[in-house]
Amino acid sequence: MLKIKNITKSFGTITALDNISLNIEKGEFFGLLGPNGAGKTTLINTIIGYLEPELGEVSIDGEVITVENTQLRKKIGYVPQDISLYLELSAYQNLKIFGSIFNLSGNELETKITEVMELVQLSDRKKDKVKDFSGGMKRRINLAVSLLHDPKIILCDEPTVGVDPQSRNAIFEMLHNLNKTGKTILYTTHYMEEAERLCSRLAIIDNGKIIAQGTLVDLINMLEQKETIKIQKTAFTQDHIKLINDMGIISEHDFYYELIVNDKYKQHSKTFIRLEEEGINNEFVQVSRATLEDVFLNLTGRSLRD
Amino acid sequence: MKNIYHLVVKDIIRFLNDKPAVLLTFIVPMLLITIFGNVFGGKGGGPRSKTNIILVNKSNSVVADLIESKLDTSKSLRMIKKYLPENAKDSIFFDEETAKEFVRTGKIMAAIVMPQDFFLDTSSALRFKFYYDPKNEIESAIVQGAMQQTIMTQIPKVMPIIMKRKAINYIGNDSTARFYRDMSRTVTKYFGVNSDSFMQDLTRVDSSSLFSSSTDTSAEANFMGNIIQFENEQLVGVEIANPGVTRSVGGWAIMFLLFSITGAATSLFEEKQEGTLKRLLCMTVSRADILWSKYIYSTMLGVIQLLVLFVFSWAFFDIDIFSNFFNLMIIVIVSAMAAVSFAMLITSTTKTANQANGVSMLLILVMSALGGSWFPIQFMPEWMQTGAKATMTYWSVEAFLSVLWRNGPLSSVYTNIVVLLVFTVLLNTYSLVRFRNGRVF
Repeated sequence: MLKIKNITKSFGTITALDNISLNIEKGEFFGLLGPNGAGKTTLINTIIGYLEPELGEVSIDGEVITVENTQLRKKIGYVPQDISLYLELSAYQNLKIFGSIFNLSGNELETKITEVMELVQLSDRKKDKVKDFSGGMKRRINLAVSLLHDPKIILCDEPTVGVDPQSRNAIFEMLHNLNKTGKTILYTTHYMEEAERLCSRLAIIDNGKIIAQGTLVDLINMLEQKETIKIQKTAFTQDHIKLINDMGIISEHDFYYELIVNDKYKQHSKTFIRLEEEGINNEFVQVSRATLEDVFLNLTGRSLRD
Repeated sequence: MKNIYHLVVKDIIRFLNDKPAVLLTFIVPMLLITIFGNVFGGKGGGPRSKTNIILVNKSNSVVADLIESKLDTSKSLRMIKKYLPENAKDSIFFDEETAKEFVRTGKIMAAIVMPQDFFLDTSSALRFKFYYDPKNEIESAIVQGAMQQTIMTQIPKVMPIIMKRKAINYIGNDSTARFYRDMSRTVTKYFGVNSDSFMQDLTRVDSSSLFSSSTDTSAEANFMGNIIQFENEQLVGVEIANPGVTRSVGGWAIMFLLFSITGAATSLFEEKQEGTLKRLLCMTVSRADILWSKYIYSTMLGVIQLLVLFVFSWAFFDIDIFSNFFNLMIIVIVSAMAAVSFAMLITSTTKTANQANGVSMLLILVMSALGGSWFPIQFMPEWMQTGAKATMTYWSVEAFLSVLWRNGPLSSVYTNIVVLLVFTVLLNTYSLVRFRNGRVF
């Protein structure tokens, strides 16, 4: 469906995208995870044809996207990172303006406006000015605009930045439902929880390079240690460290020790039995499985939020 | 083409939703035209407000009475002769000291006093006292000018008496009488006029005769009054109901056109900042579509704005816009196109909306002042008048004057049209090059 082949894009001396290749299949919910400044938005801008790459090409259904080839953009619904709406106009006026750009008019346009307003659950507010909406509502209208022309692929560039948890969940649900109707979705984020929750397949981008890609399981399996155990300092003495340091890597934090267990103890039961044997009460122990954060940390040596 | 149409509609919707922009485009220029229209002419050339001046006439001379009566009928001055003292029921006449006090305390701008010795029986000159507050030099000069004009119209009547009195002073009564006798005989001999009557006219030095019915037609008055003769014939604008507003409406309209159009064009920065410009470019819209739509929308807005302002001037100030409407429309369209090209130049050469607003404000004010929007360029030094020709404002204002004031044919504004079109082409070409490399897109 969407094929990104050896894309390179620079701004002056900075290489924003470095030989990036991705292949997104029809109906996929594909996540692009990376910290701020990793190149996510630049990649989206290149896919949409807003930026021209120096090398490589992007194609949809075999047709190459260029800055000039504006008609191919009808297949794409772009949800910008910022609220890109005419704030002084009503939600309805915004939808009408952007819908007409996609050559929708008359009854067809009115029907589509009604549909998308229902989808984003703002039908009762369509006559209100966007500037009077909450951040979450603005985000939903931002999404609604990109769905008016019934695109095949939806590019979401961090669509939940600055959104309250309730609106965020509403957006997740909408995107999930759209995906279920067969829409292909490319979703960029720096929140690993979002990527884990929504995406069937993921690519991790850092400094303009794709450093890993695959399903969530594929990426987690890249890690040797798949479990992390946090032990409160109140229940833990320096002597205990000596007793369990063969279980994995131990690091000290303000209020707890963190133990990344090795393969031998990767099953919870084994871990707990061993800790109990060493006299550490289970109620001071918290076990969590490895996350994309750990994957990113493992691959780059930095946290996603750095 | 459809994209351009939809983008123009988008700009119109946005404009109509932006009440301050509508206010600045139409209402503010209307208000200013109303204010300046009333200053320079008033509705339909109607009466303008008069400037109040205190008049104190302490003289018993009929010449003073004559001048006072003329000042009373002045079109630009209103003579105030009485005032109401504190705790008094009735108004009383000003005396000289009270008049001075009124001027000193800023209650009135000036006072004119005709003292007791204004024109005595033996006087050979008129003596006025003029007290004024020079806080507003222009107003003061205008008042003095108006006063002098009124007084000077009466001078021919007084002049013969003054001259005869001077003659008596210089050569004595006997010699003067002998001169008049000889002259009377000569005139009677050669022109057959009545010797006694002519002698009576020649020897009159009594100013009371100024009010007699025959005075205005007396030989001396006619002679003196005709020393300088002006034959006034207004060649242009005779039929114009409101010359002041007709002269100034084009200038004001052009200045506000530049402001509104520049605002419309620099909205590209606003759209860039809002992200809507990028959103449009990520749809089926190209950069060329956006530029064309801005150009078409801004030109339309400019034409509508100018038309509304001219129709407003027609409705409220009787400006005749319909007898030369076709030519007026041509100038309106060409001026709007030139203004848009100026706005595009600003947009393409600046980096932010604030920068664009600052630069455009500076240039528009300079162009308006220099190009004749505020006052006729003839008021300016020659080098500035030459510089004015480098502004598009000058060519538009002159073209409007030509079609509205002189009711000129299209051929009279060919040069203006060509210059404005050259401005348009040059600025647009440069802007397009800048847009390719600029930061807007």
